[in-house]
Amino acid sequence: MDTDTPFSADQDVLVDANIFYAIGSPSNAQYRRFRSVVQNAGVICKLPRRVIGELGGPEADRVRTALDEGWARIIDAPSPTDGDAVAASDIAKRTIANETDQAEHEVEKADAILAGLAIQYIRDRSTAGVIVLTDDKPAKKGIENAVRAQGYTDTIAVHGLEDIIGDDSSDSIRLI
Amino acid sequence: MTSDHDRVRPDGGIDALDSPPRDVMDEEALKPETLAQNAPRLETVVQLLNRPALTRVYIYVCYWGPVAPPEIMEALDISKSTTYEYVDQLVDLGLVDRDDSTRPQQLTADPTVIVEQYAPIVITPTVLHALALQEVDEDIAYFIDRYGIGKLIAALRGAGLHFAGKTTQRMVATDIDVRETEAMMIVYALKPALAVGRDYDPFFEYLFPDVADEMDLPDLDEISNAPTHSSDLDG
Repeated sequence: MDTDTPFSADQDVLVDANIFYAIGSPSNAQYRRFRSVVQNAGVICKLPRRVIGELGGPEADRVRTALDEGWARIIDAPSPTDGDAVAASDIAKRTIANETDQAEHEVEKADAILAGLAIQYIRDRSTAGVIVLTDDKPAKKGIENAVRAQGYTDTIAVHGLEDIIGDDSSDSIRLI
Repeated sequence: MTSDHDRVRPDGGIDALDSPPRDVMDEEALKPETLAQNAPRLETVVQLLNRPALTRVYIYVCYWGPVAPPEIMEALDISKSTTYEYVDQLVDLGLVDRDDSTRPQQLTADPTVIVEQYAPIVITPTVLHALALQEVDEDIAYFIDRYGIGKLIAALRGAGLHFAGKTTQRMVATDIDVRETEAMMIVYALKPALAVGRDYDPFFEYLFPDVADEMDLPDLDEISNAPTHSSDLDG
């Protein structure tokens, strides 16, 4: 299974809050699968502070477990003065507005922030590439567009949860 | 003119209408005998909305039927006496049909639907399934406890739009006025109701006329405890 994950060692993996909701609590099969893929690839999930807040803070079970086990880390949001990051977030925001039929100012800032963060990481820190994980399709498209517009398609990839742990339907999902 | 929308309460109810809706509430509809004929239907829905454990049995029979009582006991993990008690009540309410000509008895249930276009309120099997899940899902139990059933329906609609890629979970939070944490939590908790409803609720499109076919949800064929027969009326 590990061979078809998009991860490779030393990559920076930026993770949106919805991924942690999608995998559920640490006792869930999907949580365990996600953790084992991340650990086997030797990567660390980087969670923006804002995301930590949305997950209920660093003491929330699913966050605490990941932090304690060393496969997740808290990072800061991109600086509001970083031109490249701001431009990338704006592109993402425009795409999300378009995809969801909303006015641009209606788009949640946090939905676009990962685009800016990805650009900042690849420019300043990362050597082996950046992977962004989000379970929101409009946000995924927004980040992809920002990455394309700024010419980073070779080094930044965007994935949903399915790309990491496969289709979830084989898990014992409780239907009723 | 004041819009009725201004009076829509967060729970989905409305305080008052500007004027009586004469186009539907005509003399025919308001005849005492017509109202009396419809009375059991209202009673039925009130029971279902207020009694999630009973609703859970109804939805199981509706989606998984024909089934026998022992199957219900096993699938829902409820006692024999509770199962028979609920089945009797559902039969009395006219929601479940019991065929005693076979042993064990076979139970079936027709899907029920209520649409109140002025509020608007839509209650379909998918909605009833969502509220019944509070019996086994603590996230849904929390959400209903805090926000009520009306907002659960709003969350259900938001979750459907999310799985169709038409909104983000943070937008759902803003739209239905709950915390982002709560929106993300409820979107995933409602996944089973959407996944089964898409295939088995004949009124699924009442709630999702625009995105019924676009949702990215688990395929029931690959889930071992999913309903298997084809009761998909529009399939």
